[in-house]
Amino acid sequence: MKSLFKPKPRTPVDVVRQTRDLLIYTDRNPDTKDTKREEKQMLELSKNVRELKSILYGNSESEPVAEACAQLTQEFFRENTLRLLIKCLPKLNLETRKDATQVVANLQRQQVQSRLIASDYLEANIDLMDILVAGYENTEMALHYGAMLRECIRHQSVAKYVLESQHMKKFFDYIQLPNFDIAADAAATFKELLTRHKSTVAEFLSKNYDWFFAEYNSKLLESTNYITRRQAVKLLGDILLDRSNSAVMTRYVSSRENLRILMNLLRESSKSIQLEAFHVFKLFVANQNKPADIVGILVANRSKLLRLFADFKTDKEDEQFEADKAHVVREIAALEPKGP
Amino acid sequence: MKLSRLNSLRRVQSGELIMKLPDDHDDSKRPQFPPDSTSYKIIDEIGIGVSAVVYKAICIPMNSAVVAIKAIDLDRSRADFDDIRREAKILSLLSHPNILNAHCSFTVDRRLWVVMPFMSAGSLQSIISSSFPDGLPEPCIAVVLREILHALSYLHDQGHLHRDIKAGNILIDSNGSVKLADFGVSASIFEANSKQGVSISPLSTSMMLKEVAGTPYWMAPEVIHSHNGYSLKADIWSFGITALELAHGRPPLSHLPPSKSLLLKITRRFRFSDYENHRNCKNKNKFSKGFKELVASCLDQEPSRRPCAEKLLKHPFFKNCKGPDLLVKTILQGLPSVEERFKLGKLQRLPSMKTEEDEEEEELEKEIIKQRRISGWNFNEDGLELDPVFPGENCEEECSIIEEKGSGDLSEWCSGMSDLSSPVGNERGGGGGGGEEEVVDRESIVGGLVALKRSLDEQRRAVGSLIELIEGEKGGEMSREEQMGRLMEKMTKELENERKRNFELEMELEFLRLQISAAYNNNNNNNNNNNNNNNNNNNNGGGGASTAINN
Repeated sequence: MKSLFKPKPRTPVDVVRQTRDLLIYTDRNPDTKDTKREEKQMLELSKNVRELKSILYGNSESEPVAEACAQLTQEFFRENTLRLLIKCLPKLNLETRKDATQVVANLQRQQVQSRLIASDYLEANIDLMDILVAGYENTEMALHYGAMLRECIRHQSVAKYVLESQHMKKFFDYIQLPNFDIAADAAATFKELLTRHKSTVAEFLSKNYDWFFAEYNSKLLESTNYITRRQAVKLLGDILLDRSNSAVMTRYVSSRENLRILMNLLRESSKSIQLEAFHVFKLFVANQNKPADIVGILVANRSKLLRLFADFKTDKEDEQFEADKAHVVREIAALEPKGP
Repeated sequence: MKLSRLNSLRRVQSGELIMKLPDDHDDSKRPQFPPDSTSYKIIDEIGIGVSAVVYKAICIPMNSAVVAIKAIDLDRSRADFDDIRREAKILSLLSHPNILNAHCSFTVDRRLWVVMPFMSAGSLQSIISSSFPDGLPEPCIAVVLREILHALSYLHDQGHLHRDIKAGNILIDSNGSVKLADFGVSASIFEANSKQGVSISPLSTSMMLKEVAGTPYWMAPEVIHSHNGYSLKADIWSFGITALELAHGRPPLSHLPPSKSLLLKITRRFRFSDYENHRNCKNKNKFSKGFKELVASCLDQEPSRRPCAEKLLKHPFFKNCKGPDLLVKTILQGLPSVEERFKLGKLQRLPSMKTEEDEEEEELEKEIIKQRRISGWNFNEDGLELDPVFPGENCEEECSIIEEKGSGDLSEWCSGMSDLSSPVGNERGGGGGGGEEEVVDRESIVGGLVALKRSLDEQRRAVGSLIELIEGEKGGEMSREEQMGRLMEKMTKELENERKRNFELEMELEFLRLQISAAYNNNNNNNNNNNNNNNNNNNNGGGGASTAINN
């Protein structure tokens, strides 16, 4: 490298290679006491990661060049650079961690010869998701790993893996971690998993209906934590109202237990929760084939419900909401107890 | 509760462990504050907004470290939860000496508590309105601006826009350190990128955001006309406006249409009239050429011509810039505490808050920003002024917008607070010190006293209007009869006073008449002793009356 002449500008491939070498070094040397040498290596690594970032994103002087991005991406995934980077992330300083997160995010979208090679790489190295998901248990790393994870589940196959893994159960706890920033990040990932890839989500929900909604109801909708309930009822609405989940929706709104939970949420003093709960509750009412016990509950609570809806208003004028409400009120008013 | 306390204890312990690891850098050296409310003890309220309150508190397990806690009412804050998540995330991941980040954040029922370092001198906006209504001295402005540029340079390098730079969001600590706060409306061009799928080059100039956010006065023209998109340079504009705010004591606002209510509203918040009085005589030569140039370059209509933060730091204006000590010496001495300023400010705000329709404000806020139009800005470099030009119509509406946005702003912990100097403390300090110190202190005492006098006047006004308000409310509760009775009583009193005054005036008139006629008579007597019986008669009668008065 050292030369009397001006060093040649490094190609994107050079930068990736050097980054990889430095990562290998970092990975192999856990906590040596040779701090001086280590600091120098770390500084060099930080510089390289930043260089990767500026090739991918451009900087104040120049726009990113597609060709350079493609070369970088190809070299990055040609060997196991991503694994090294994820493994070494806790050893990097905060700024480099953030740069690395942005590099990883960008790489997920880079196409090489109109192929997302990141997806191929991750399919072959799917266990990396285990590290990323477990990151939520580490206060230091959660936001970095969480951001990377959200980028990786843009690939359908990766999202499918995470959904069907044992990790999915852990999210119910991650969402309620005491640190708000981490809990909120986990909630964002959870939402992404359950809304992004329609067919995968529909398949997952119908296969895992029982345990999933049992957990969802007891841990999230009936959580003692206000923000958990609020987010959960909103997400539930998003999931059930999605056309691709219609089978799941039909099943959900036929359950008396689910109706009970939603009616409790309707009674909350929080306006936001009430409103989101209404968007789910209306599905129970709108269901054309209401089971007898659902009708029974609605009839038994008819006057209370009608009174509730009489004063039920959104802060802003919302025609759709008013129309839905009118419909629900009409339905409930016209209900006749079924069966014997 | 017990469990969460245990958890937090464990977390503190593990935090200490992490601190000892040699290869962890800046970030992990930060002590880990426990994310549960039982570890904190609230001492005082120091700021209030539409959906948030800021407290001064201590963190018991952290050696009772003093912290500021911003408690955001999540149920009242707008629906999009992602904004709050983004703010929390940005706050946890930024690490720069000029940026106020969070120790931790957690929910307490419906509130989100964001625990932050306590910046004991509060916001520059509150300092200015308390003690520097005509603006800060230029050397102090230089220090503040340089520190803020460091923060901006760091933020922009990370692809973040602050989007709400103003004196109300610049906080000062007791050691003079300057920190940029409040990332409530900040945006990451990386995140916008992934959300909207715009261009893939956020750091380059072509990366644009399209959402309208910020506080109107400080907003760049391209943010206002946001359909064209804007970028990091929008922060540079707001930085320029903030420079003007520090220099004049308020953001630029002249040449507004002379609508009465507009003037009224603005005067109340920004003391517009003062600005008018001073700007013509004082400002012409008050500021250095370098400062004017710096501000002018930031307020270029064309975003691409505005220099970046990095470049601004190299401006000659900062060449002989002092350290933060200067702020301690010049600004912080004799400054009333954040708590005191807040309490006084709260008293003053109360009546005006009641008259506004608070609830509507909040909901309108977002829409309104979109409606507000400023048709242009003219920067007058010579006078160091910026003149926003409003279109003639809708000016009432626009103005109320400004008001609403202002009072709805959670960021200004100490916004609108006025001063309550503490001269007693000052005197003690001065008395204890040596001779030289005493001289310096005497000056600051005089300054403090002047400020106190001003603040007492303001306070009296505020209390007056408060009394009026409360009396008004009482009136509403009283029966009609009682009200009428009171009114009659009042009117009877007035009538009596009127009669008394009338009588006095009559007497005075009589007295004057007598004097005149006496003088006339004397003249006449001198000239013509034996003349005019009528006059004599008058004289006699008058003489009697005049003795009566004199007695």
